[in-house]
Amino acid sequence: MTRDGPSLLIVDDEARILSALQRTLRREGYEIVTAETVDEAFEILDRRDVDGILSDHKMPGMTGVQFLGEAGRRRPAAVRMIITGWTEEIPREDLEEVGVCALVTKPWDDAKLKATLRRALGGGA
Amino acid sequence: MNTAVLVVDADSHVVRCNDAAAAILGRAPEALHGSSAGAWFVDVRGQAVVERTLAEGVRFKGAEAMVDRVGGGAVPVGISCAPILGPGGRVRGAVATFQDLSEMHQLRQQVLQTEKMASIGQLAAGVAHEINNPMGFIHANLFQLAEYAGDLRQLWGEVEQLQKVVSQAGSPEVREAAARLATLAEEVDVDFLLSDLAKAIRESQEGSERIRHIVQDLRDFSHQDNGELSLADVNQCLDSTANIVWPMMKHLVQLEKNYADLPAVTCYPMQLKQVFMNLLVNAFQAIESKLGASAETGHIVLRTEHHGADVVISVADTGVGIAAGDLDRIFDPFFTTKKVGAGTGLGLSTSYNIVQRHGGRIEADSQAGEGTCFRVVLPVDGIGDDA
Ligand SMILES: Nc1ncnc2c1ncn2[C@@H]1O[C@H](COP(=O)(O)OP(=O)(O)O)[C@@H](O)[C@H]1O
Ligand SMILES: [Mg+2]
Repeated sequence: MTRDGPSLLIVDDEARILSALQRTLRREGYEIVTAETVDEAFEILDRRDVDGILSDHKMPGMTGVQFLGEAGRRRPAAVRMIITGWTEEIPREDLEEVGVCALVTKPWDDAKLKATLRRALGGGA
Repeated sequence: MNTAVLVVDADSHVVRCNDAAAAILGRAPEALHGSSAGAWFVDVRGQAVVERTLAEGVRFKGAEAMVDRVGGGAVPVGISCAPILGPGGRVRGAVATFQDLSEMHQLRQQVLQTEKMASIGQLAAGVAHEINNPMGFIHANLFQLAEYAGDLRQLWGEVEQLQKVVSQAGSPEVREAAARLATLAEEVDVDFLLSDLAKAIRESQEGSERIRHIVQDLRDFSHQDNGELSLADVNQCLDSTANIVWPMMKHLVQLEKNYADLPAVTCYPMQLKQVFMNLLVNAFQAIESKLGASAETGHIVLRTEHHGADVVISVADTGVGIAAGDLDRIFDPFFTTKKVGAGTGLGLSTSYNIVQRHGGRIEADSQAGEGTCFRVVLPVDGIGDDA
């Protein structure tokens, strides 16, 4: 489903979260790319640029914050956001250090999620 | 701690005692003289201590026993006992010393409770996290499904119109196709299907909301670092919380407020409000389940008092009360007598944690069938720098 809007990479080890997020954002006009593992996400980032990255925090191998730190080195222009089921466990300094600009909690509120992404990515449909 | 001393003769009759002994047993020293030592022990173990010392000449050190305090019920004591030996090694009597262990027992109980809370808190945090992941997509999917169902219903409305128009005009093939559509629509009962689809989704959304609520409770239970330490007006904390829950209870409850002048208390106001909220909701639910469908109303009395270095906040209700056997367990995490969906059993254990963090204590008094009173005792400046 390719659109002309901003491109967004979503990373989550739970495939059902990926499809639910895609459903939620279906009419928002983003070009959405998904990855179920951090490695897969890095492969995508090496191949192409994206406008934003939304990543889960608790994943096998690497936390979302670590992943976003590394992703930021490869694609410094990409806006970085975390989505997690447990916000309190991530210290604010860690988020700031890797330049995470927004934090979404699971379960998410549809309207809030859309608004957060619009603000971060400047537009959508 | 004052040590009680008793001297008994070979027949176990008291010949000497000190004031501490009299105080623990709740009797005047004169009343103790000549009485039989074995008689105050409420347990066999305690009776055996004096008996065996006298009969066999054995010594006891720090044995735990229960004694009967006049007007005060059973008191736990730690007792040591040694024989007094006469000529030829004959036992002529015994000296018993003992100490009131009530306070120590209470402390031990508190430590156990705190440990239990901490480990369950960790477990709860883990569980909450695991639940939030699947809840994330279930919640979002239901939301989308509701939209899809709405779209489909609209679409079906148009299809139905089209079917009607076409079935009257047009070529035989078109009319036949329209008739097939009408038959199938009747077979699958499209109208029911569309409205039940929306209903099923709505009900699932309610369920998912409920799970969200439970997870929120779990989260509150394991994370109490919300809010800032400040000097607060406890009356105001209580009152604003009461105002929040008032609309929910006003049809069933008459609320009475007795606030004393209180000094500002060093506390986490947000957390105290959470405690008051739990107590108020419990009081309301207790009244609700007592009254059932009757047209009566119940009472809740909110009271604050200033006692020396403490402020005391109490919430008393005329609800169902708590069975004597449950009183020990109400502060346990997950202990609930409420039906599924109504209670998680975390309100009081969370409150217990919070009050303890404030250096205070929380107690319940209850008469089954009559009502319950919860008292929160908070030191005015209980939280030091270490909290
Ligand atoms: N005011 C009250 N009157 C009667 N029973 C109460 C009251 N407060 C608490 N309880 C009892 O203590 C239990 C635990 O309370 P709580 O920890 O708040 O969990 P919950 O309200 O979710 O059951 C309740 O299920 C109820 O049995
Ligand atoms: Mg409760």
